[in-house]
Amino acid sequence: MWIITCRRLKRDRRGISNIIVIVLSLVIILAIVSNVVLWSYEMNNLDWEKIKENVIITNVEGDTYGSQFTFENNGGLTVHVVSLWIINSTDHQRYDVSVFVNSAETKTYLSDDILLPTGSYTVKVVTERGNRAVYSGS
Amino acid sequence: MSSLLLTVIAVAGMSIAVTATYVITDDLHESMGERFIVEDVWFTTDQISLYLRNVGKVSINVALVYVNSTDQSFTSLEVEQDNHGWLNVTYSWSADSAYEIKVVTRRGTTVVDYYMSPS
Repeated sequence: MWIITCRRLKRDRRGISNIIVIVLSLVIILAIVSNVVLWSYEMNNLDWEKIKENVIITNVEGDTYGSQFTFENNGGLTVHVVSLWIINSTDHQRYDVSVFVNSAETKTYLSDDILLPTGSYTVKVVTERGNRAVYSGS
Repeated sequence: MSSLLLTVIAVAGMSIAVTATYVITDDLHESMGERFIVEDVWFTTDQISLYLRNVGKVSINVALVYVNSTDQSFTSLEVEQDNHGWLNVTYSWSADSAYEIKVVTRRGTTVVDYYMSPS
């Protein structure tokens, strides 16, 4: 059967070229579609994870030696806090932080570099996925 | 001779097709992979400063900034993946007013929100 097929293909070379064209076209189409679909899936996953995130600042305490921030993760995924802002009427001060808070966990972050301003202020944290939590104090 | 010519044409055609595939998917990749947020907005004298964070998969390049639907001049800013930086917009704002600020990237990704100026 295999020998017969090979002989037929040798006789009819036009048939082979048609098959090659179809196969190569399909490979290109498959490459485009799979590339776009996989990338789209990855970005959708990123957006989905961002929606699932839910972190809040439950408490902020400060003295002359530093500040203490308490974060609560009410979402289903581990949160990575990457940025902390201390904002008042005269200054917007940003600090690089790296705090991981597991799902359903409450975590306290201590820093002797961050001093709270006198008067009313706002503390804002930003997660790696791009979510924010805000706390107002005085 | 004719089969050689046909082979050359076929190879050239496939090369063009593969290059076109790469270009099309690369542009799509970059457009779909853009994500950024405005971490903070700071109203200072004749200026509005926005702190941008790139949370996407490709670098972003700010192309336009609109304040209340009017494009404004700003310091050019390119933010690499997982990086952040200030975008300074020249604007004479009024106290205790709401402003619609829209940031548009070179690839067309838009982030728009309302911000209150301090009193």
